[in-house]
Amino acid sequence: MSAVGRALRVLARGSRDHPGPAAVATTAGLVNGGTMVLGAAAVGWTTDHLVLPVLDGRPVGAATWWAGAGVILGVSAVRCGTIWVRGVATGRVQHRAQAATRRAVVRRYLHLDLAWHREHPPGRLLAHAVSDVDAVWSPVQWLYFALGMVFMLVGALAQLALTAPALGTVGLLLVAGVLVLNVVYQRLLTPRARDGQAARGDVARTAHESIEAGPVVRSLGLAGAEDARFAPEVERVREANTRMAAISAVFDPLLELLPTVAVLAVLGIGSRAVSAGDLTLGSLVGVCYLLLTVSIPLSVLSRFLSILPLAAAGHERVEAVLDAPTATYGVVGGAGPDGPALLEVRGADVVRGEATLLHAVDLTVEPGTVCAVVGATGAGKTTLVDLVCGQIGPSRGEVLVDGRPLDDLDLARRAATLGLVGQSPFLFSTTIRDNLALDGHPREGLRAYTDTELWTALEVADAADFVGALPAGLDSVVGERGATLSGGQRQRLCLARALLRRPRLLVLDDATSALDPRVELRVLARLRALVDDGGPTVLLVANRHGSLAVADRVVFLADGRVVDAGTHDELRERHADFRDIVSAYDGGRTDDEDRAVLAG
Amino acid sequence: MRTAPFSPADPGLADLADLGPRSLVALGIRVTPVLASGWVVTVLLALAAGAGRIIAPLTVQRAIDRGLAPAAVTHALEVGAAALVVAGLSSWALNRRVQRRTERALASLRREGLARAHEMSATTADQVRSADLVARLTSDVDTITTFTQNGGVQMITNLAQLLLATAVMAAFCWQLTVPVVALALVLLLSMTRLQRVVARRFAVVRADVSTMQGVVAEAVIGAPVIRVTGTADRMRAQLDEAVDRTRSSQLRTLVPLHGNTALGEVAISTMTVLVILLGVGWTTHQQWGPAPDLSAGQLVAMVFLVTFFVRPLQFLVQSLGEAQNALVGWRRALELVTTPSAVVSGAHAVDLAGGPVGVELDAVSASYAGGPPVVHDLTVRIAPGQHVAVVGESGSGKSTFAKLLTRRIQPLGGEIRLGGRPLGSIADAALERRVVIVPQDPFLFDTTLGQNIAVGLPDVVEADVRRVLGDLGLADWLAELPDGLATRVGVRGDRLSVGERQLVALARTALVDPDLVILDEATSAVDPATDVRVQAALARLTEGRTTVSIAHRMATAERADVVLVFEAGRIVQVGHHGDLVVAQGPYADLFAAWR
Repeated sequence: MSAVGRALRVLARGSRDHPGPAAVATTAGLVNGGTMVLGAAAVGWTTDHLVLPVLDGRPVGAATWWAGAGVILGVSAVRCGTIWVRGVATGRVQHRAQAATRRAVVRRYLHLDLAWHREHPPGRLLAHAVSDVDAVWSPVQWLYFALGMVFMLVGALAQLALTAPALGTVGLLLVAGVLVLNVVYQRLLTPRARDGQAARGDVARTAHESIEAGPVVRSLGLAGAEDARFAPEVERVREANTRMAAISAVFDPLLELLPTVAVLAVLGIGSRAVSAGDLTLGSLVGVCYLLLTVSIPLSVLSRFLSILPLAAAGHERVEAVLDAPTATYGVVGGAGPDGPALLEVRGADVVRGEATLLHAVDLTVEPGTVCAVVGATGAGKTTLVDLVCGQIGPSRGEVLVDGRPLDDLDLARRAATLGLVGQSPFLFSTTIRDNLALDGHPREGLRAYTDTELWTALEVADAADFVGALPAGLDSVVGERGATLSGGQRQRLCLARALLRRPRLLVLDDATSALDPRVELRVLARLRALVDDGGPTVLLVANRHGSLAVADRVVFLADGRVVDAGTHDELRERHADFRDIVSAYDGGRTDDEDRAVLAG
Repeated sequence: MRTAPFSPADPGLADLADLGPRSLVALGIRVTPVLASGWVVTVLLALAAGAGRIIAPLTVQRAIDRGLAPAAVTHALEVGAAALVVAGLSSWALNRRVQRRTERALASLRREGLARAHEMSATTADQVRSADLVARLTSDVDTITTFTQNGGVQMITNLAQLLLATAVMAAFCWQLTVPVVALALVLLLSMTRLQRVVARRFAVVRADVSTMQGVVAEAVIGAPVIRVTGTADRMRAQLDEAVDRTRSSQLRTLVPLHGNTALGEVAISTMTVLVILLGVGWTTHQQWGPAPDLSAGQLVAMVFLVTFFVRPLQFLVQSLGEAQNALVGWRRALELVTTPSAVVSGAHAVDLAGGPVGVELDAVSASYAGGPPVVHDLTVRIAPGQHVAVVGESGSGKSTFAKLLTRRIQPLGGEIRLGGRPLGSIADAALERRVVIVPQDPFLFDTTLGQNIAVGLPDVVEADVRRVLGDLGLADWLAELPDGLATRVGVRGDRLSVGERQLVALARTALVDPDLVILDEATSAVDPATDVRVQAALARLTEGRTTVSIAHRMATAERADVVLVFEAGRIVQVGHHGDLVVAQGPYADLFAAWR
């Protein structure tokens, strides 16, 4: 099916989904089209029955005066009313349909696979939800107008044919000419519009990158190079826009003036008919008036048609989102058992594209223990975290929680079981209280947290002091992605959020990297105490001493493989690479010394 | 051009919100003079286009008036056809002319805007969201193109047509013209009133759309958090609310918006009736006053002229909204372009002497955006070639210190000198590539690893890049990357881990070989073994260059020539690690905690 056909089908569906306003808009559109024909006829009638007789000095009754004024004003009143009603009803269909589609798209985002999210940059997803959805429904604004205008054109042509067949032919030629011109116009315009759109996309991308690179550009003096990179893209937009303008400069005046050409033709043909007495002067005036007003419906029709390909393109992109596979979860629900969880990873491979990120990883974390993952930059630590949290699936092998495949658990069960604090702390632009509580306690029927619980979690994460010092305390709004807080403060809030949910397995991915050594040690010591007190099983990614000191067991990861696992001392003994990483900053301290520091 | 960037000017973009439309257009023309070039020809073309549109139908009236005599009809056809050709050709020329000039102006507006984004003071750049700056270079500028393509040029023709129609009407019959114009004024007044209501309601829509975008962005960027906490329902409620609120405010625009269109229709019919009845009545009732002497054709011509008068009027009022949009877009683009440049150059700017750079601070204090001072009375001497470590708890003023040295923040008081020259008067060109900061979250361009390292120097060859990676002890890391230097790093480098991005930034800096390097937590995400290796290599590479390292890994401090200890915005201890660690004080505490 052609793009236009697809777009029309979407519009038909939209009208069916909003039958009330769609019916009102259609009716108003048709009546409005009718009034345009009647309006021209009214002017013609008044010319014949009022203007000509009066100016010829013939007597005209008061009734004719009133009738002339009444007919013109009456028709206008109806037209005016229908314009208003049609506009309002059209807007209702358009904006309601937009909102419905937009809801569907953004809801889909919440359920799409995280791997899918990773492949689609946020900027593009935002565009799908906002401008693409707008594009899908933008033709609605002309739909009912255009319907009425088609009705009007048919009526006008019929009227012309009845008045004088020759004039009807002129009208028909005019309509056909305008439609053909429009088709040619769109054919020429569409590829140019697409070029322009693509060029604008490039400009936006480069501008965004260049502005984000601001500090590097200043520091290394790259402003000239950036302009040189930007200029050709700006030039492409200019050229594309100018080429579009070159087309419209020809077609716009042509389309606009064609009705006047038709008027001249009508005059040439009609004058003879009037001389021959086959046509009244009033009818001729009416026809001219009609042809001049016909330019409005024709331009509405062409606008409507020209917007359809864009709508179809938007629809395609929106459908791609709506058809994308959602993440699948198991069916095991409920809050699950209490107490720390057992985590097992068995022979797991993770492949992304060509690269194998994890090879046959085996890992067991006993309930109520702390396991640290150590590895060089790029060894696959974060991939392992994503795997055990179910953020990505293994290509081979499996992840088990309490002996049950993670895949079997539904979303609520996972949320009640797992807690994750990622490398880059993410906060919502709301209050600290909302950021901590989210939608309530996942293990206790989403009940609201008490302030005491909130403060206790903040205390463990060493965030109570700075939150308490904020003027609005827990009710302070943290700004876009927590912009009003420092990196270390954001990390501590994210940690508090995870603790508050009382997960059975807590995963920390370098989650204390932005903390000062003193603060970090305090936080880790409290975490250890929590674990010893029956708290969660902990998997933490960290290379720093303090983190290793709280771990019962350490797993050494290199090039996506588990090289070895054991206590810190065992690994230090067995692997020089491991020693390099963990002892880089000191001359080989032992766990015992670290524990002593922690205890002290 | 400002020669003293350290003047405590208000940071932020230029604010043109108070500028009226006329001054805004004048400013726009000053910034891009191409817009107004050859305006006489443009005006003439517009008048010709408008005239052609009016003349053709008028000749038809003439012919009807003459009783459709064959000669009159022929004459009317000839004149009408000629008028149409003139109207068509001048419209075409006008379109080309206006749009070409507009597009040329917009292209230079975009380029100047990006250049200015790089030239504005760092404080301003920090305050403005980058998405906002990008919008000022893209969608805001696009609104102007949209406007010129869909009505802007027609607006000019319509204006000409309106003026000409008024003139012709007045010439035909001033008695009817006066009430028509009076009615038009009433119409214009009420339509602009209503238009203001429409604009206010659309402003609400824009704000709601922007909020909605924020919520959607949060849902998309926070997807992992939402997923792992199982809080999709909460997010869905927020999304629904934002979407529905936008819909409601959109629906609220409908009544006044379409009321306005309908109003134009009422006016046209009222005027038509007025012209017909008043024209006919007055001609036959001479006692009403200085009566017009209208023939049937002239009267009908008046009816047509009213249409030519009102349609453009209606078009103009309806285009007001579009025009307002375009003006807002233009204003926002101009605000970026007219933001003062903070680049130091020209006669007052001084150079930076060659060789390693010494740093001196005398009683320097600084604050963010009018807030309370965050660093106080910083007085310190860093000798050329020294390696300095800066330590302290977060919030103690370490990063502010780094920002002061790189002019990313202006001191409230005191003086900073680099190489003996006041930092405020050193030319930007003299600092580029010689004073370089390596941040915690370095920016990578969406290109290859090799190009990202070579970015500071246009003519380095691959061998240089490999050499610098080798010198830093990163050859093994490079060898493990499947595509080596040709590895695509992704948007902002997000195909690399944070640690890998930091390594790229270090290599990039080492290649440029600056005389003063400021490392602001530059290796915080690199694994310790690599970190120690790289730091040692860097120390070798920067032998004889001045380096300032900010780190909470105390290993850096152990190796430094001098340690500056920050606490609560002041330098509280200065000395060598060996001396400080045995002295009572914050340094010994910090070190003990780290151990």
